[in-house]
Amino acid sequence: MIDSAAPVIRVNGVSRWFGNVVAVSEVSFDITPGITGLLGPNGAGKTTMLRMMTGLAATSTGTITMFGERVRDNPPLYRRIGVMSEHETVYDFMTGREFVTMMARIRNVDNVEEAADHAIELVDMMDAQHRPMKTYSRGMRQRMRLAGTLVHDPEVLVLDEPLNGADPRQRLHFKRLLQQLAHDGRTIILSSHILEEVEELADTVLLIVNGKLAASGGFRAIRAALNQRPYHVRVVSDSPRALAAAVVNLPSVDAVNIDPDGALIVLSRNVLDLQLELPRLAQSASIRLRRVEPLDDSLESVFGYLVEN
Amino acid sequence: MGTVYRLTLRQLTGRARLAILTVLATLPVIVAALMVASPDAPPMTQFETGILGAMLSGSIAPLVVLAIAAAAFSNEVEDNTLANLSLSPLPRWQIIVPKFLAAITIAGPFIGASAFATSYIAFLGDPKAVFAVTVSALAGVILYAAAFLWLGLMTTYAIGIGLLYIVLWEGFFSGFVTGVRMLSIRHYAISLMHGLDERRFNFGTHPALATVVIISIVAFSGLLYLSIRRLRTMDIP
Repeated sequence: MIDSAAPVIRVNGVSRWFGNVVAVSEVSFDITPGITGLLGPNGAGKTTMLRMMTGLAATSTGTITMFGERVRDNPPLYRRIGVMSEHETVYDFMTGREFVTMMARIRNVDNVEEAADHAIELVDMMDAQHRPMKTYSRGMRQRMRLAGTLVHDPEVLVLDEPLNGADPRQRLHFKRLLQQLAHDGRTIILSSHILEEVEELADTVLLIVNGKLAASGGFRAIRAALNQRPYHVRVVSDSPRALAAAVVNLPSVDAVNIDPDGALIVLSRNVLDLQLELPRLAQSASIRLRRVEPLDDSLESVFGYLVEN
Repeated sequence: MGTVYRLTLRQLTGRARLAILTVLATLPVIVAALMVASPDAPPMTQFETGILGAMLSGSIAPLVVLAIAAAAFSNEVEDNTLANLSLSPLPRWQIIVPKFLAAITIAGPFIGASAFATSYIAFLGDPKAVFAVTVSALAGVILYAAAFLWLGLMTTYAIGIGLLYIVLWEGFFSGFVTGVRMLSIRHYAISLMHGLDERRFNFGTHPALATVVIISIVAFSGLLYLSIRRLRTMDIP
């Protein structure tokens, strides 16, 4: 039985650099049972971090242990770990079932066929299990790869961008499956660059930006910080000066500027209210709105804001 | 081990690859048959140097093994599937050894059959000569497989570097720099052939049979050890 409070994975002062490029810098954290989301923009160092956590890559400095044992060059530990890497390539010449049974065999599973049945059923791929994997859609390949990751019933699951290519139905199924696995006491680490994806699943979030641990903890605190974030919204109308004079009085607006091409740049810390108030205001003032668009809604700007605050 | 062995066999036995290997393995047999059938049949020294030394041991055998053994790992590295094996509890030697066995399972029959048929035709069925040529060719397959398997783990340019080794190191430098021959698998194979049938192959100077066997075993063990060590320490893509 795993003690739910004791850290299963301990990352201590880990850095990794490739030549002059620092991919991960002085990162330390503990991971306990449940679902932990590793969040960050593309190129932030998530995959390098996961590869070091699973022993696929060496650390330049620092140590990583799992169940108190070093991860690197410790094959017996892989009996307890299931890893689904970011790479989506599969053995094209195999059927889905052949792939899962192969994964079971090289992980010394006792009853290979029974374990394969169970894993394939978990990912809802029984109907397509005997088809060659080259005929699968991207989402189906991901599910069969997940079956291969689960086939030896690992205590720790490390999943790098597992929802890539999944359709909404598959996402829902995947979400339920992970929640069930976490409920059974497993430790799950899930990486993603999609905020909402992690929000739905993870109890705890590790936010990595530019190779550094920018934030960690419960998702609510991070979401609350996000809601306080000022947004720039660009508004194009047939009467920008009149609209600016009216908009600046709205409670949801912090500041208004008019850019050189006549569009309004509205700064708001309450975009939800602004979305409701702006059309009403325009209608009452008989101003026609031609375009309303957020200027800094990219993930990078979201993560950047969180790091700064 | 059986799972990795079967997986590697399936990975390496594409139709196109097998067709190319068949063509390569048939070439020395055809040339030997033409030479024997010719009214101006060349002397034995020329046959040994040209067909057995340069063509079979110097080109066909290393090229066939390079195409198979280097791909055993470099394909997995390029396809990003090596993590499937590396993330298993198998000791690393249980990944290296079946990959090596699969490589010689595929390359061995091609080169063995080619050496057997070529020498049978050339030496009119002389069993000792046929045995010497076939065994030395198979020993070459084993040594080349160990070398190119390691190379496939070291670099994604294994085929290019392997070709440079075959053409420049073994084909060019070892021809006139004596010391280079001590690091030439082709030279080991030819020396073994001479040692197994000194009556027939008595041209040139070669180390004693026991010396060649010991050097070959040391080289083979060293290369397998390096492969295992490399798989333990490399960053897996």
